[in-house]
Amino acid sequence: MSASDIIFLIVAVVTVGSAAIVVLSRSLIYSAFSLLFTFFGVAIIYVYLGADFLAGTQVLIYVGGILVLLLFGVMLTHRLYSLNLRTETFQVIPGFLIALAVFISLALVSTRTNWHVVADKPLVPTTDTIGTLFLTEYLLPFEIASILLLVALIGAAMLVRRRADI
Amino acid sequence: MITLSHYLLISAALFSLGIMGVLTRKNAVNVLMGIELILNSANINLVAFSRYSSNGIDGQMFAIIVIVVAASEVAVALAMVLTMYRLLRTVNLDQADTLKPTCKVCATSIPN
Amino acid sequence: MQSLRYFYPELTLIVAMLLVVIADISFKRLRSVLNPLLTIVSLLLAAYFTAYINHSQEANLFLGMLALDSFAQFFKLFLLLAAFLVVLGSLQSEELSQVHQGEFFALLLAVTLGMLLMANSINLAILYLSLELVSLTSYIMVGYLKGDRLSNEASLKYILFGAISTGSMLYGFSLIYGMTGSLNLYTIRDAFLSQGVQGFDQFTTLLALVLALAGFGFKTALVPFHFWCPDVYAGAPTPVTAFLSVAPKAAGFGILVRFFFSGMTQTTGSEWGLVNGINWPLVLIGISVLTMTLGNVAALTQNNLKRMLAYSSIAQAGYILMGSVVLTGEGLKSMLIYLFVYLFMNLGAFLVVTIIYNSDKSFEIGDYNGMFKRSPFLAFAMGVFMLSLTGIPPFAGFLGKLYVFLAVIEKGLIWFAVVGTLNAALAAFYYMRVIKAMVLEEGNGNVAPLQVSFLNQALLVALLIPNLLLVFFWNPIDRWTASSARLFGGL
Repeated sequence: MSASDIIFLIVAVVTVGSAAIVVLSRSLIYSAFSLLFTFFGVAIIYVYLGADFLAGTQVLIYVGGILVLLLFGVMLTHRLYSLNLRTETFQVIPGFLIALAVFISLALVSTRTNWHVVADKPLVPTTDTIGTLFLTEYLLPFEIASILLLVALIGAAMLVRRRADI
Repeated sequence: MITLSHYLLISAALFSLGIMGVLTRKNAVNVLMGIELILNSANINLVAFSRYSSNGIDGQMFAIIVIVVAASEVAVALAMVLTMYRLLRTVNLDQADTLKPTCKVCATSIPN
Repeated sequence: MQSLRYFYPELTLIVAMLLVVIADISFKRLRSVLNPLLTIVSLLLAAYFTAYINHSQEANLFLGMLALDSFAQFFKLFLLLAAFLVVLGSLQSEELSQVHQGEFFALLLAVTLGMLLMANSINLAILYLSLELVSLTSYIMVGYLKGDRLSNEASLKYILFGAISTGSMLYGFSLIYGMTGSLNLYTIRDAFLSQGVQGFDQFTTLLALVLALAGFGFKTALVPFHFWCPDVYAGAPTPVTAFLSVAPKAAGFGILVRFFFSGMTQTTGSEWGLVNGINWPLVLIGISVLTMTLGNVAALTQNNLKRMLAYSSIAQAGYILMGSVVLTGEGLKSMLIYLFVYLFMNLGAFLVVTIIYNSDKSFEIGDYNGMFKRSPFLAFAMGVFMLSLTGIPPFAGFLGKLYVFLAVIEKGLIWFAVVGTLNAALAAFYYMRVIKAMVLEEGNGNVAPLQVSFLNQALLVALLIPNLLLVFFWNPIDRWTASSARLFGGL
């Protein structure tokens, strides 16, 4: 086992472990901050997969945007002294069993399927290729994504503004 | 040696944890966190397959699109959660059930 | 770049949406007239472009993202028509008049754009993106009445359930990407056909299909992905409910057909073959039966008309799905015909609900008692729509059911048609209940005649005409849908 393998193992454990804390923790704040570690772990996994630009995007948008939004959501919807959340026990068991069944099927799928494999490629920086692709092959998704963002902007702004008429 | 299966197992674990989070959590923001786990697991799958199963980086492009969608979704969802908090002073999904049908035997809303 | 020439309908909608947003901020006094006008004009223009662009040669747009074929053309025209009718129906809705309407039209244009793209998509990336565009915009439209806790609750449930379903669908897409190495539906199909699916891979493919169905089933409200439907339909503003019940549902069926038929089935030649070992029609048969039955049974006990119509539309989706499992061109054609008649039936029913709510402020069936005395026209219209939904001749709904059942019987699945017929008979109970309340029951006290505005009257007549006459003039529809379904061969 080389050093990079050991680091990968640690990252994997941290990612899955913090995801477990997100789901199982009784405190909303602990969940939110464990999600931070999960997102970082995913970003490092992207680096291992050679997706350098994507890793940067993940950190920027997921940690810097989505997680901050979630923290806002947590903070703005609770009275500060009652940040603890208790889940009823009887519901955790069926949920856990379903999740376990899902995991077992997916684990079998992950290991036993004959995936479509191609020859090993060297790890190259991807930013250049991504930029070109977004202006050629993926032009339409690029433009539609901007419409999507516009709609989200309009919708979110409309929902939270206080005055009845602008 | 790290193979494709390792990445897929990690994403399978994240997906299952996301499903569990979605099924067992009552706080709307917590359910959103579970949803983010699901989306991240699918993203890991896409990027892993992009490396091992395809000749281009289509998977990574798709992953970028998914990140954009996830960000918009969280924005809208949180706007809705904040509106709910303004109206009801709670974001507990159990207490937001005024839409229950008038009969007891009808199919109910999402399991909470 | 040359794809832009074929993109005029969508471009019209984008420009109109931006104009509505700008007009909303700029013209304070004119905007209540300008916004609907812009919307309606752009929808008509987009429909004109769609009809004008030659869809008969099958081409790829934007380097393989969108398909340009007659199947897409059918859905584009259908969706534009649905949006047009809903805009007209929403102009005099009490629920929407209290909130600022500018964004409503912008959102409507955005969701129509998303649906047009959904109808076209042949690449998993743009399919996911357009589906999310439609979903996100619908979430906002459902929660539009932000002071109303029912609307907000419905929207939150819609968001959470939708995000889970589309997230699972995304995971399924990633598995398919892993198995075939491509995101393009045609390449996926070729990969499945050439290498075959052996052994354990069959389980993987089935799992991926079920996960993908989570997303499609969510959009079309199939069981077991229907849980959001009654709550959202009941809580959303009625014009939005009407829109959701026809347009995204149809778009969802469009991508479902494309995904399964272009991605998973060999459609060359006259006999359609399944990719080795993946018996997806079996899964769909099961879902169809469950959907029909659960929808109809649950609708029997509802007192809120919007909830009842929600379960009714769930059941109708079950009938539509029947056409897809037979793997023939006839089956596809029957789906398109059913969707077409369903548009007029359902929008009509919801329009009546909107009108009655405008004056009575109630959605309870009990409050519909004695409507016949107060407005015979409304009672007559609702009667036609209810009978059409039941599938009784000589109304258009009968046409839809006839085509679907025939397609199924032709393939030998007679038991399936029997189940469908039994379900239709079951459904008659709750549809008739509404008619009975309106005609036979005594009114609850409010005996003032209900005035229906001219616009709404005209709209009702426009929706009634297809319901009454399509049975006699079915040939044009038959030919149109046949040419649309011909994309997949076999006709």
